[in-house]
Amino acid sequence: MNAIECRNLTHCYGKKMVYENLSFNVEEGTILGLLGKNGTGKSTTINILNGFLQPKEGECLIYGENTQNLSPKTKRRIGFLIEGHIQYTFMNIHQIEKFYSGFYPAWNNKPYWDLMSKLKVTPKQKISTMSCGQRSQVALGLILAQDPDLLILDDFSMGLDPGYRRLFIDYLREYAKAENKTIFVTSHIIQDMERLIDDVLIMDYGRILAQQPLSSFMNRFRQFNITLKVEEAVIPQNDLSVNIEKVKDKVEFYTYNEESEVRSFLNSSNIEYTFFEEKKMTLEDAFIGLTSKY
Amino acid sequence: MKSIYYKEWIKIKRVFSASLVLGILALSFIFIKVRHDILFSDAAGYWYSFLFRGSPYYTLLRFLPLVTGLGIAIAQYFPETVDKRIKLTFHLPVRENEILIRMHFFGAASLTALFVLFYTIFITGSSIFFPSDIIVPALISITPWFLGGLATYFMVALILLEPVLLYRVLFGIVGAGFVSFFSLRAGIGGYKPILITLSALTILVSVVILFSGYRFRKGEM
Repeated sequence: MNAIECRNLTHCYGKKMVYENLSFNVEEGTILGLLGKNGTGKSTTINILNGFLQPKEGECLIYGENTQNLSPKTKRRIGFLIEGHIQYTFMNIHQIEKFYSGFYPAWNNKPYWDLMSKLKVTPKQKISTMSCGQRSQVALGLILAQDPDLLILDDFSMGLDPGYRRLFIDYLREYAKAENKTIFVTSHIIQDMERLIDDVLIMDYGRILAQQPLSSFMNRFRQFNITLKVEEAVIPQNDLSVNIEKVKDKVEFYTYNEESEVRSFLNSSNIEYTFFEEKKMTLEDAFIGLTSKY
Repeated sequence: MKSIYYKEWIKIKRVFSASLVLGILALSFIFIKVRHDILFSDAAGYWYSFLFRGSPYYTLLRFLPLVTGLGIAIAQYFPETVDKRIKLTFHLPVRENEILIRMHFFGAASLTALFVLFYTIFITGSSIFFPSDIIVPALISITPWFLGGLATYFMVALILLEPVLLYRVLFGIVGAGFVSFFSLRAGIGGYKPILITLSALTILVSVVILFSGYRFRKGEM
């Protein structure tokens, strides 16, 4: 069953089209990472999912309810982390826990206080005086205490140092897998996603470039590094390459095809080369390869 | 629902306390001055200047409710606009309009509690020095100022939650004009004919915040 279903989403700001007829699903119990360059519509999608933006056309459903009109019962099942770990910073960690606990009957404050005990903060210290990393732990602790079925995390790694990012990811993945939670997550730091997500959704301007299980994507999508014999040689338009990055005689050839197919294509196109090697990619490499550097 | 009121109290408690102290100080000053004036000039002359020269003893109260309403509205709604924290509020498992109404109710009730206390002190203090023939018109005169305090609260809340700057400016201009109706200079008791109208208008603007809330949720920017 799908936790999230978005159908034929179309949205624009004035005359600028963000995307048209975008559709995707997030299956229950999976962690889906939404990747895309700035301006490709990640925040727009998050805002539509949370009911803070009405799409021009199409609809998003969460547990079968339109996100523009979620019932309190369904909202109770959704944990929401706003970009930048926004919280009520005028409260201290006791006040904010007391505040949220009143809204959720299944509130379990243990994970919250477990995380708080790791922070070097005084009980009455206001959240506004905490570091970004500490605030991220407060936000995460509150979501865990809420015990939602679906977590929507908007750019959770923003402003976090490597230690806090790792802590956040490890805690989250263990929790999600142990409790069969669904997570919809965006992040600018793609290497974080690799440790966290099951499925990947990569957006470009106005379209989806890839939506599949991360392992499948990483197995199928390949980068070949090629050194051309003649620097001026031009690799012709073809159906094999998803993207070609060329600097002088060095070529990065990104494709979903096998090595033999690429070699055969180069040979048939009379492209001579002195070096040919498949490069093992990280998710970040693959993302850049798919969306191009520019 | 106690949680909503708990958060709202955390936001406004300082301004609420400051307004309480300010109001008590202002009212204390008014009645100390009345006592001083009656003691050191003759009482008949004092009454004459009040009744016929239009220099009432409570003028100091004119902008107190307005300042209080402004302070409570800013304390309550400004923190919700920083980093668009209102998103957190709208994400709580309560209908969006219901949560706004409850927040608004809390602010308005706090303001009303302060105003009722100020009224009580005013009536008690006035009854020491003046007969009811003076107190009743005085109450009629100060009532629009207190209604204006509530109207200020409602309008400032609308402006603060409005997501579009242009609309904020527009609401600001309309709000300033609207609120000024409540503190126009008038003879003692002169507001009596439009008191009901002003009360009705105040009740009417109490729900306009739902408009800003709706616009925010639809993603206006």
